[in-house]
Amino acid sequence: MSDDNLIIYEEEIEKVDVILGKMLKGAEAKCALLVDKDGHLITRQGFTHSLDTTALAALLAGSFASTKEIARLVGESEFSVLFHQGKKDHIHMSLVGDRSIMVVIFDDRTTIGMVRLYAKEAAAELSKIFSSLLDRSQNSKPGIDKEFTSSAVDRLDDIFQD
Amino acid sequence: MVSINYATREVNCKIVYYGPGLSGKTTNLIYVHEKVPSSTKGKLISLATEADRTLYFDFLPINIGQINGFTAKFQLYTVPGQVYYNATRKLVLRGVDGLVFVADSQPDKMDENIESLTNLKENLAEYGYDYKELPIVIQYNKRDLPGVLPIDALEAKLNPDKWKYFEGEAVSGGGVFDTLKMIIKLVLAKAQSPSTGKSQKLSEVSSGAPAPRPDAQIPSTAASTSETGENRPLEPAISSADKTSSINSPIERPVPIAATAVPDEQPVLTRQEAYRSDIRQEPGLVSLPDEKESTIQDTNTANAVMQKVAVESGSPDSDRPFPGSSTSRISRRERRITVSDFQPAPRSQQYPVNDNIGTEDKNDNTEIESIMPKPTMAPSTRVVKKKRGLFKRLFGIK
Repeated sequence: MSDDNLIIYEEEIEKVDVILGKMLKGAEAKCALLVDKDGHLITRQGFTHSLDTTALAALLAGSFASTKEIARLVGESEFSVLFHQGKKDHIHMSLVGDRSIMVVIFDDRTTIGMVRLYAKEAAAELSKIFSSLLDRSQNSKPGIDKEFTSSAVDRLDDIFQD
Repeated sequence: MVSINYATREVNCKIVYYGPGLSGKTTNLIYVHEKVPSSTKGKLISLATEADRTLYFDFLPINIGQINGFTAKFQLYTVPGQVYYNATRKLVLRGVDGLVFVADSQPDKMDENIESLTNLKENLAEYGYDYKELPIVIQYNKRDLPGVLPIDALEAKLNPDKWKYFEGEAVSGGGVFDTLKMIIKLVLAKAQSPSTGKSQKLSEVSSGAPAPRPDAQIPSTAASTSETGENRPLEPAISSADKTSSINSPIERPVPIAATAVPDEQPVLTRQEAYRSDIRQEPGLVSLPDEKESTIQDTNTANAVMQKVAVESGSPDSDRPFPGSSTSRISRRERRITVSDFQPAPRSQQYPVNDNIGTEDKNDNTEIESIMPKPTMAPSTRVVKKKRGLFKRLFGIK
């Protein structure tokens, strides 16, 4: 499994962004992130400029992973929806396909019901896109090129100096 | 699994520091965080107990900058070393691209090293990963302490697979960068595509040539304008192709829900297209939405929400129409047809509402109502007048 690189092309992200944007408008949420279960951020929509999305993605993926273990302990295979309630902002996480998590951050201008409704619709649409994406990734296994690797390795000595 | 994202132009790799408790995994990350330039590193996040023991993981994103138009990012994780945290330790291994095994060189820690290594192999096997195929580097840490085991002894017990190893003193930083550089090299080498045809992908894109997929054209400016994920301003995940298109079109319209949600409904779209010609000169709508322009920007989100509120206040029982959607336009046209049935007003008078389309339905309604007489009353008055005139004419009454 670790042999397969996850390749995401622009056209797919465009489709995903449209779906996320539509969901944001419908639910009147602040922003949405699409996160890989490994902790990589795939894309984001809405007002995310004030957020450290890299760290957020890693932590959210970690949070989701830990609830999966909790689910197993209580006899479930996985919890597909997770909700964190704060004083102002709340987070709704839902599973998209097998390996992605859609995260919606919203405040009191909307309700959890609205977010759930629109997130469910969006998750169904997104899972279709991702299933085709994964099929393609498994069929063709492109990677990074030699030039990229050698340039990156050259740069390491400059960055990592004692 | 290395993640290559052509939209954000990033290559993401996950490197996990594994090893027994107190062997120095978090110390490795702290040293890296202290020493690398601030432009390169993100925040070091540590999910630790009050006693500063790692509870879940430590996380340090490293961004080594743009190479051939792509940003290379490495996410460094540590696992909790203590035996009873195996559940969370296993979770961190998900999607790992490279492993650093930090071993404690002290003689009394040898059993713990072996146990941790065995546990690593078990946990990898649970995910279906073969540890023999994964890039792994060993760091024999704490070499500065007195009475540590010689490297040969450690190698014999811990490294039967002959992975590359380094001697480390994580507290002072000895061997930390050597280990990290080696694992990055191995990860990149592993992620390299085996066939030459596919390996052209990144270089083609970086040189400004069209993207590998014919329908996803990347303009030559894309590589130079793309920024790292953290630094990108308001409009986040907008692809480079869309950025250019949004520059060309003065105002980008929000996507009509009906048009995107049900792209197969051709008749609806055709009717909408036909109707668009009537409203092209509207001041509020500079460019009309095409299927290609269906990107949503942050600035437009606010606009659209306001417009939507206006629409909803005008027709509360409507099915959540969206400004510009075929639903709202068609229903508006149908209302006009009803009006014309009652009173054949002059065309100029009948269609006076072009200025208001897409802004407020409420105005639209009031103007129509001003033109339209009450449908029940108007015909009856007219009939009575006609009958009286005819009667008078028939009987010659003046």
